Amino acid sequence: MKILVCLKQVPHQDARLDVNGDGTWIKEDGIKFEINSYDTYALEEALRIKDAGEAEVVVASIGPDRVTQALRTALGMGADRAVHVNDAACQGSDALGIAKTLAAIAKEESPDLILMGLMSDDGNASAVPPMVAELVGMPSATAVVATERSEGNIRVERELEGGAVEVVDVPTPCLLAVQSGLNQVRYASLKGIMAAKKKPLDVKTAADLGVADAVGTAGAKVKIEKIYQPLRGEGAEILSGSTDEIVSSLMNKIKELGLL
Amino acid sequence: MSILIVTEIQKGAIREASYELVAFAQKMGVEYASLVIGSGIDGLASEFGGKGGGKTFVADDASLENYNVDGYSAAIQAAVAASGASMVLISNTPSGWDVAPRVAAALDAGFVSDVFDYQDGNFVRRVFNGKLDAQVSSSGSATVVSVQPGAIAAFEGTTDGSTETVSVDTSGARARFVEIKLADAKGVDLSKAEVIVSGGRGVGDPEKFAEVIQPLADALGGAMGASRPVVDAGWLPHEYQVGSSGQVVTPKLYIACGISGAIQHLVGMKGSNFIVAINKDADAPIFEFAQLGVVGDLFEVVPALTAAIAAAKG
Ligand SMILES: Cc1cc2nc3c(=O)[nH]c(=O)nc-3n(C[C@H](O)[C@H](O)[C@H](O)COP(=O)(O)OP(=O)(O)OC[C@H]3O[C@@H](n4cnc5c(N)ncnc54)[C@H](O)[C@@H]3O)c2cc1C
Ligand SMILES: Nc1ncnc2c1ncn2[C@@H]1O[C@H](COP(=O)(O)O)[C@@H](O)[C@H]1O
Repeated sequence: MKILVCLKQVPHQDARLDVNGDGTWIKEDGIKFEINSYDTYALEEALRIKDAGEAEVVVASIGPDRVTQALRTALGMGADRAVHVNDAACQGSDALGIAKTLAAIAKEESPDLILMGLMSDDGNASAVPPMVAELVGMPSATAVVATERSEGNIRVERELEGGAVEVVDVPTPCLLAVQSGLNQVRYASLKGIMAAKKKPLDVKTAADLGVADAVGTAGAKVKIEKIYQPLRGEGAEILSGSTDEIVSSLMNKIKELGLL
Repeated sequence: MSILIVTEIQKGAIREASYELVAFAQKMGVEYASLVIGSGIDGLASEFGGKGGGKTFVADDASLENYNVDGYSAAIQAAVAASGASMVLISNTPSGWDVAPRVAAALDAGFVSDVFDYQDGNFVRRVFNGKLDAQVSSSGSATVVSVQPGAIAAFEGTTDGSTETVSVDTSGARARFVEIKLADAKGVDLSKAEVIVSGGRGVGDPEKFAEVIQPLADALGGAMGASRPVVDAGWLPHEYQVGSSGQVVTPKLYIACGISGAIQHLVGMKGSNFIVAINKDADAPIFEFAQLGVVGDLFEVVPALTAAIAAAKG
């Protein structure tokens, strides 16, 4: 069995976000990056299937040089092989451009299962996984919070609102986009990190994958015109002063609300 | 350009979010038609047509009774062809985000997700989990747009409606609906609490919930809540989770500690009577929705407040 996990490297959740010079993205230099949180659950799911039997886990990511780090981490956690689409021409791709690139990898690899995250923590699009499924002709399910595998089928629970779930039978090969909390994600062991250095990491370009026309700003139908700090409206009254002063203001409010 | 509004049925009725799509299309000032998908839905479709939907396409088939991605995708594509629409508007709900990107890829269309406004010809959406906003444009022969539920007031008037059947071939459907399982009965029912003190990822570890968050909740005679990462990490069970995939709460006082204020958390607590946010990041989106804010370390403020309440009680 072969499992393809697509993961994105995104700014660290606690990174300082400053808008870049032309106001279309954030300043990326000097900040820390990490594997998109949702994708760590996808990778963990793949590694659990591998632990339970025979599976080759291939990780794929599109992004600049820094992405090597994310892929090495994934290999350190137990993935077998990595594909890195490292191509300046991909910069500014929209979700469809990313999906076409990942679909081209999927067609080369013909996996039995593709696992992705529900959403990226930077773009918050929730767009790429169902697009890839459509482009490769696989059934798909998103917001997966539980899986149960049987011959030719994965029974998944999809998260709905308010804690309800929808149970769906998805025949394999298929693509699942997983929700956070699906499992508890492992750390890369020191031994794993050492072993990862010897694992194959292929670097490709959009042209190698035959998707040069679909990627980059030129190929994108959807473009970010402007990115900015939200207009915060009225917002909160911010309490200032020493901790004692802040606490006494909070106490006054609590009394005023009749809660003491 | 014209728009196709894809409605959603929930508990036997067209959900509020679908009427919000009508308002969104009207805000864009573009001609639109609507689509209702389901089984035995003629009545719902003509009702929607008269209450904002206008010309309403009906994809009615026994196999469409429950949401399934392949059948719904086929229905939407059939209605796009029948209506000649070049833009699809759909709500960003669990079925919306499941099917919309598939439709976009099938139509080779741009996809703009989870928008909350339309300004100067651009779609406006949140990025970085609410920390920044983006204005996004779309070009090309077709675009699929998903709209955040609750972002824009629903259309409430009447319109001239008509219905037209679209036939859908659902024989190629692969993923099969089995059942819906409702949330388990809650051991912790936050909906009745007068005061909720919630902790987020900023609380750092499970022990700190017991040492810092729970004591403040106890001192105020209230309940403890949490954001999703806390539950995902297994620090607290799901019944403590506040938000779109947890509980919706409306206490007299909600104190958010180390919670950034992502939209999925906000929808669960923004109806609270009074909101206090304690966060060390002055730019955290939670401050937009709180009435009182403390920019600072929760580990200083929360224990001091707990002590002050204990002292006041004597
Ligand atoms: C479909 C879907 C459903 C979801 N459902 C929910 C849901 O029901 N509920 C929910 O909560 N989320 C939900 N989410 C997740 C949501 O998008 C956010 O990821 C989540 O709410 C973030 O939680 P947080 O604020 O605790 O963490 P973060 O966003 O990481 O914020 C942590 C905050 O703590 C602050 N902080 C750190 N240390 C301190 C300190 N010492 N003192 C003070 N402040 C500190 C930081 O400044 C930061 O603002 C959902 C997401 C999706 C896609
Ligand atoms: N550049 C990328 N490289 C690899 N996978 C990606 C990339 N962008 C998005 N994905 C995958 O698509 C998922 C959803 O991302 P998005 O549609 O951007 O919100 C992510 O969780 C990843 O699994």
